[in-house]
Amino acid sequence: MRERITVYLGGVVVLGLAMVPFVPGAPDSYLFYFLFLFFLHTAIAQSWNLVAGFTGQISLGQHAFFGLGAYTTALIWQRQLFGESYGYYFDPLVLILSGLVAGIFALMVGFPLLAKLRGDYFALGTLGFGEIIRVAFVKGGQFTGGPFGIIMPSSVYETLRPHYWVGLALAGGLTYMIHRIRRSHFGLALISVRDDELAASSHGIDILKYKLIAFALGAVFTGIAGSLYGHYLFHVSPDGFLNLNWTLYPILMAVIGGSGTVLGPVVGAFAMTAVFTLASVSYPEIHPIFSGAVIILVMLFMPNGIMRLAKR
Amino acid sequence: MNPLLEIRNLAVAYGDVQALWDVSLNVEEGTIVSVLGANGAGKSTLMRTISGLMRPRSGEILFEGKVFSGKRPQQITAAGICHVPEGRGLFSQLTVQENLELGAYLPSVRGYFAQSLERVFELFPKLKERRHQQANSLSGGEQQMVAIGRAIMARPKLLILDEPSLGLSPIIVRQMFELIEALNRQGVTILIVEQNIRQALKIATRAYVLHTGRVAMEGRAEDLLANPEIQKAYMGTLD
Amino acid sequence: MWQFLSLGLLAELTVNGILFGAMYGVAAVGLSLIFGTMRIIFIAQGTIIILGAYLVYWLFTLGGIDPYLSLLLVVPAAFIAGAGVYQALFRKAAAISDKNTSLLIAVGLMFLVQNTMSYAWTPNPKSIVTGYTALGVEILNMRLSFTRLMSMVIAFAATGAVVVFLRRTLVGKAVRAASENMQAAMLMGIDPHRVNAIAFAIGFALAGAAGVALATTYPFDPYFGFVFALKALIALALGGIGNVVGALVGGLALGLIESYSAFFISGGWADAISYGVFLLVLMFRPEGLFVRSIKKA
Ligand SMILES: Nc1ncnc2c1ncn2[C@@H]1O[C@H](COP(=O)(O)OP(=O)(O)O)[C@@H](O)[C@H]1O
Ligand SMILES: [Mg+2]
Repeated sequence: MRERITVYLGGVVVLGLAMVPFVPGAPDSYLFYFLFLFFLHTAIAQSWNLVAGFTGQISLGQHAFFGLGAYTTALIWQRQLFGESYGYYFDPLVLILSGLVAGIFALMVGFPLLAKLRGDYFALGTLGFGEIIRVAFVKGGQFTGGPFGIIMPSSVYETLRPHYWVGLALAGGLTYMIHRIRRSHFGLALISVRDDELAASSHGIDILKYKLIAFALGAVFTGIAGSLYGHYLFHVSPDGFLNLNWTLYPILMAVIGGSGTVLGPVVGAFAMTAVFTLASVSYPEIHPIFSGAVIILVMLFMPNGIMRLAKR
Repeated sequence: MNPLLEIRNLAVAYGDVQALWDVSLNVEEGTIVSVLGANGAGKSTLMRTISGLMRPRSGEILFEGKVFSGKRPQQITAAGICHVPEGRGLFSQLTVQENLELGAYLPSVRGYFAQSLERVFELFPKLKERRHQQANSLSGGEQQMVAIGRAIMARPKLLILDEPSLGLSPIIVRQMFELIEALNRQGVTILIVEQNIRQALKIATRAYVLHTGRVAMEGRAEDLLANPEIQKAYMGTLD
Repeated sequence: MWQFLSLGLLAELTVNGILFGAMYGVAAVGLSLIFGTMRIIFIAQGTIIILGAYLVYWLFTLGGIDPYLSLLLVVPAAFIAGAGVYQALFRKAAAISDKNTSLLIAVGLMFLVQNTMSYAWTPNPKSIVTGYTALGVEILNMRLSFTRLMSMVIAFAATGAVVVFLRRTLVGKAVRAASENMQAAMLMGIDPHRVNAIAFAIGFALAGAAGVALATTYPFDPYFGFVFALKALIALALGGIGNVVGALVGGLALGLIESYSAFFISGGWADAISYGVFLLVLMFRPEGLFVRSIKKA
């Protein structure tokens, strides 16, 4: 019952947030930009949560998926793959393809890694994969634009509204999906894999299949988030998109909020976005120092995340 | 006189899953006490709680009349309780001698190191030959000797053995039970968890039967040995 | 390119690979020790090395203290700092079975330290130039840089000291025991916080030594630490996680791989090749390249 109410409340909040862009002046405010970042962060934090929080597989290669999504968008657009008159800016097909490319890469590397590696070793394997992708794009020459990356025509930019809505849809949709998954047969299978792999396999659960699906789903959504952020920066580069920060941020947010819970990553994304933006507005030069200190403090005093703290 | 070890109304849980309910148990000084029960009954959990690897949810553990529940393992070891865990817990990458040295890690017993080592090598001449070999290069029986030898190095007042006969051949198991009795005659009180119920009851003074986390039966070992219920439930298939 | 390849060149590539790899090796030895007892990859290790390098730099620039002499100051200071960092930041998290907490504290520490260094001392690379920086040593017709040779000596000596400590002292044996089976070690009366603190202290001391080795040979900046930690991680995987000598050998191997691939393939790809080897090793020889697989008795 309480869960029902939470879902309805969540729906109302999402609807309310969806109306914000219609408020006069809102899209030009700093708060609007903050919310956009919050949605983006929620999306990547939930994607990581899907893999790590529910199946217990710590992925340290999320930045590769984020970058793959962004680069897919940039490459399609720069090369005008669908013809010159096609509108690439916020085209649903481009967004979805960006996610799919990340997902396909996830399936390709996920299959051998998940089949062979457990625990820390899987984490390290994904880290190695992420770095290989980064180097490949840096060294990609003409095709990837090398260390500089690819510039997209920013003249199409009018307002942050589409970014806001796509971000909201991504964050809200993903959170709702995780809520539904958790109660489904699929979700219970994931959780049982996390809690006791041996028992799960003896109950006939095809562990590899479930891990792989979760890993690929996480990659698809991270890829779409990467594409979305590409639509905002108009410059997709290794430093901006294949940066390990795109793996660290979602982990940070999910864990601070409470990984393995539905709302934890949302809370964590909100808290960390607030910390990051507050620090970068008030003390731009020491923002990363401040963020580092916050991570340590949160982990010292609420190691299970904000959501689990609230439950007690 | 107080018993050496006294457990009162102990409750222990793994997260939300409770493993022990209201367990009370006494071990008198100089005796051998057996704890029996099916797999998953909570025997190892009880031993881990006594040695401080787990904290009880409620209840008390007294050793020599002093409250020990909630203390850390090193304090409990220092007080004279030595726990040989299920599966032996050897340091397989370390040599036999290094394993034995770590048995006498605490300053209170380190002074007796040479003396204890001699005693162990007297008991197990094989270990003296193999002292510089890595523990994992030994046979199962020899590894069990290292585990017990390591416990002797700690000069315990109470020795806890969790399924010491696991994976050993019947001849070795018999030798091991003889050894346990010999140690007991030398003054070491023993708390032993066993699947080898008949043998465990033969050497024991008292015994407790755990069933799904509760004490289902307790009494003098010889009474339990004669109890038809025990015979039917545990010994029919095993021996 | 092949026509230039002579035996002399090959030898030079090899030597340079080994000299640089020795530094990955010390970093990896530190990671290995901390991983042993704590079961976390201490991702801030590289950043601590950079902090050590800055310390050496400032001691030299402001105090005029010779970098090699500063070993006597930096290493003990780092040792104490390591134990302090464990007590202040990791002690509580070490007791939790979920390792994410410790891992994230390490991430936070890395953020904090590297950005503090960048803020305090600018992100521009620093390097130390002393009277002997340009000095060369002639060995077998090869001119080797004196400082790089010294770095290798420091790396080997530091690893050697750790090995002696682990094999010859009771506390060292307790650290090895705890790395293998913490619960059984606790039953021996070994205090887990004590061995964890020792692992951190030694890990930091090694980082201090590596800082001296780095500061005297290569320019460094605050953000290089993370890359260094990743390299150390690869070295660790090559050598077999939880094996101290293997970690050093893994570092040397990585140095060679990088040296060769930078020459034969091209500079930028060297990293990708290291990570590729890393992945292959993880998948096909997770116990490391240089460990004979232990036969079950
Ligand atoms: N690490 C653990 N986490 C969660 N539950 C456990 C753990 N260890 C044991 N249990 C549970 O506690 C109960 C008692 O286990 P245990 O003490 O090992 O039994 P025994 O030693 O009698 O076979 C079992 O139901 C077991 O599933
Ligand atoms: Mg048991």
